[in-house]
Amino acid sequence: MDPALKRRLASRFGERLTAPIHQRHDETEIRIGAGDVPDVCRTLHDEPEFAFLTLADLAGVDTGTTMQVVYHLWSETSPDWLRVVADGLSRDDPRLPSVTFLWKGAEWMEREAYDMFGITFEGNRDLRRIYMPPDYQSFPLRKDFFLPDDAARSPGGGVRHMEQVHTPRAARPATTIRKAPA
Amino acid sequence: MTTATPHGARGAGEIPSDDPRVQLDEALGVFEPVPPYPPRTEREAEFYTLGDGEMFINMGPQHPSTHGVLRIVLKIDGENVVDLDPVLGYLHRGVEKLCENADYHHSIAYLDPLEYISSLFCEWPGVMAFEKLLDVEVPRRAEYLRVLSSELNRILSHSLFMGWMALDLGGLTPILWSFIERDEIAEMLAALTGQRLLFNYFRIGGVNGDLNHEFLSRLGDWMSRATTQIENNLGLLNENEIFVRRMRGLGTMDQATALRMCMTGPNIRATGIPLDFRRAHPYSVFPELDFDIPTRDEGDCLARYLVRIDEIKQSLRIIDQCLHQMPDGPIMAKLPRLLRPRPGRAYAAVEGPRGQYAAYVISDGTDQPFRMRIHDPSFIHLQAVGTLMPGHLIADAMAVMASLDPIMGGVDK
Amino acid sequence: MKKGGGAGLGTGPDDATAIASDAPGNKPSALTIRQTAVAAPIVVTNTLWQSTDPNAYQGNLEPEVTHLREVEASGIARRDDARWSGALEVIPTKADYVLDLIRANSLWPLLSGLACCAMEMMSSATSRNDMDRWGMFPFRASPRQADVLIVAGTLTTKMAGPLVRLWEQMPEPKWCVAMGDCTCSGGRYKRSYATVEGIDRVMPVDVYVPGCPPRPEGLIYGMMKLQQIVKDRRGHWPDRAVGPTVPENV
Repeated sequence: MDPALKRRLASRFGERLTAPIHQRHDETEIRIGAGDVPDVCRTLHDEPEFAFLTLADLAGVDTGTTMQVVYHLWSETSPDWLRVVADGLSRDDPRLPSVTFLWKGAEWMEREAYDMFGITFEGNRDLRRIYMPPDYQSFPLRKDFFLPDDAARSPGGGVRHMEQVHTPRAARPATTIRKAPA
Repeated sequence: MTTATPHGARGAGEIPSDDPRVQLDEALGVFEPVPPYPPRTEREAEFYTLGDGEMFINMGPQHPSTHGVLRIVLKIDGENVVDLDPVLGYLHRGVEKLCENADYHHSIAYLDPLEYISSLFCEWPGVMAFEKLLDVEVPRRAEYLRVLSSELNRILSHSLFMGWMALDLGGLTPILWSFIERDEIAEMLAALTGQRLLFNYFRIGGVNGDLNHEFLSRLGDWMSRATTQIENNLGLLNENEIFVRRMRGLGTMDQATALRMCMTGPNIRATGIPLDFRRAHPYSVFPELDFDIPTRDEGDCLARYLVRIDEIKQSLRIIDQCLHQMPDGPIMAKLPRLLRPRPGRAYAAVEGPRGQYAAYVISDGTDQPFRMRIHDPSFIHLQAVGTLMPGHLIADAMAVMASLDPIMGGVDK
Repeated sequence: MKKGGGAGLGTGPDDATAIASDAPGNKPSALTIRQTAVAAPIVVTNTLWQSTDPNAYQGNLEPEVTHLREVEASGIARRDDARWSGALEVIPTKADYVLDLIRANSLWPLLSGLACCAMEMMSSATSRNDMDRWGMFPFRASPRQADVLIVAGTLTTKMAGPLVRLWEQMPEPKWCVAMGDCTCSGGRYKRSYATVEGIDRVMPVDVYVPGCPPRPEGLIYGMMKLQQIVKDRRGHWPDRAVGPTVPENV
């Protein structure tokens, strides 16, 4: 709980915050819109009164109605963690500017958010899948991606192949490996 | 007939097709390290364009460097590495999704195998985040037990680092010596937690088991000879001219790059920035313990190695203090079995042997976490290989990667 | 003949909807989730960039085998290349007995440590629990020189392709040891979307060593069981089959 940090944030970013600054235990949370991310992060990084030089974490969140990207920053000027929540991304096409211009180490964290949620970071030079195979079609951590044995609880329960009991040999018609055209 | 066939194409007439053991498909040529699809991003196009005299070498997911399943596509010019593209995901087990579908208590067991060598440091931020959500206060004895067991885990991890560092440079003896160290500490922790490797020791509100006779006797035995044993082990490497000359000046990182690459832990302390979250953002009982933060200035592989060695010595100091200052009391706070924290968010970070381990938990009021985000240092540090490796020989490139100490379980979650 | 399900839902292996949920053409009809279009993967159509080699990237075709589903469906894993017993299958002679003894006492494992169990495998190979006593010290890096594939660690769908390729590159006679719960049955990752629940779905396993992770003594016990199997000429060779060995309706 750092009231000085709250005052500084409110005075600097007052009109850009979409929600009141929330403090609990040793964390301070501010919420901004997706388009403000580069400016706010640059200010927090460059200004000596903030000096949040360390990006501790970059996470994607799917709340079921919206998507969010959450940045955790640390600075020597404050005993609190600063959490910046870029809120209000649509679930259909979540897009957000990238922070790789400030922290090159965010590149893979953004790749992971893209892989798991489908959030596109504009400005990331290397936005491709990092964990799943490159031809994978779904985004696993989204709330509409169900694990196989939750299938009974999902709206289309028991439809997918993984949710049914098959004998392995009788599973699917054999497909051949595609041959290169002559 | 003897026209040169392009790379990867093989005519059907070269291999007898009536042999039932041989089932070739014309399209399956030689294994190509490059991806069989056109590049999708700017960086991929830049990487997969070969210059003059360059070639691709694939260090596939199975290779003798024992970091786990990592695939690196190297672009080399002779023996020099020009560029590289690490491909991850060969150990991605979907831990975050599994945690969302499990209780708070069950999630702790999923957090263990992330960095399987430093399991307690993977459990700790998860448990701390849950405690923040529940506003649980951990008894002091439990905190001291946490610090004690985790510092033992840190020594275990650093001894293994020492062995692997030498193994990647070609030395086969130090890995055997460090596994002796590691086995002793693992047996100790098995006496305390019940498991040699994936301890599952921390609980929400405390720890699972108290000190017992076997643990204390093993610990006492080991501590009495620990310092001399570690000095002996290090004498094998620190005074070895080949080791020192190979590592000095290799993979140098400066402070600005380290901050930009979001490094934490010994990798950033080796560049001169004394960032240690036990001091910078104190948690648990670290304010009451007296220890130093070893830092070096050079930022090369030797500095990263020496920082970790110094940390072993500091950990021994901390263990000593824990044993002397251990308070009495319960080892676990009283909590209901069915935990329903109020809706909220919590972030907790600890300083582990590789860097900052953190967990960001969002609770929606039910008994399952809504979002369990695990932050792992190895994932971040592996990005640095792209900056540090180019320009070195392949053999040195492996040394650079070993000095960053990645563990693929954590990288891939 | 349509079985069950008034709406013609996938009810069995012959049904056309029985394809993986992530296959490009899969549109299960009964799925009543609101159709939200997720962000499509970024596809850079190859108009600006050209490889110098016209045969590279398979002439712009899609990848052939990058996912486990295609590995299994293509039937590669079911090939039986060169049965090792050969002509002496019926009556083992003294020479065979000696050969089995030789093989059993110098089983060279392949370094195939994937995850946490690899730590215990390495620990069983180092000084305190020494596997060298039974001849298993040299962990070969190349599959061409290895006898035993000790799969230690969780097998993910992305890694399954390379692992099967490693298995096929090993020359006969070869055996496979599933070490750890994750390789026996999927272990604690049984519910995950990205793991293979047990390596016996992709390769024939001779010895299962359960545990999470099994103690080094446990692995050594498993290797001694493997030695018995080698000497008794039991094991998978004559009837090797890929797939879970659990019968239906279980």
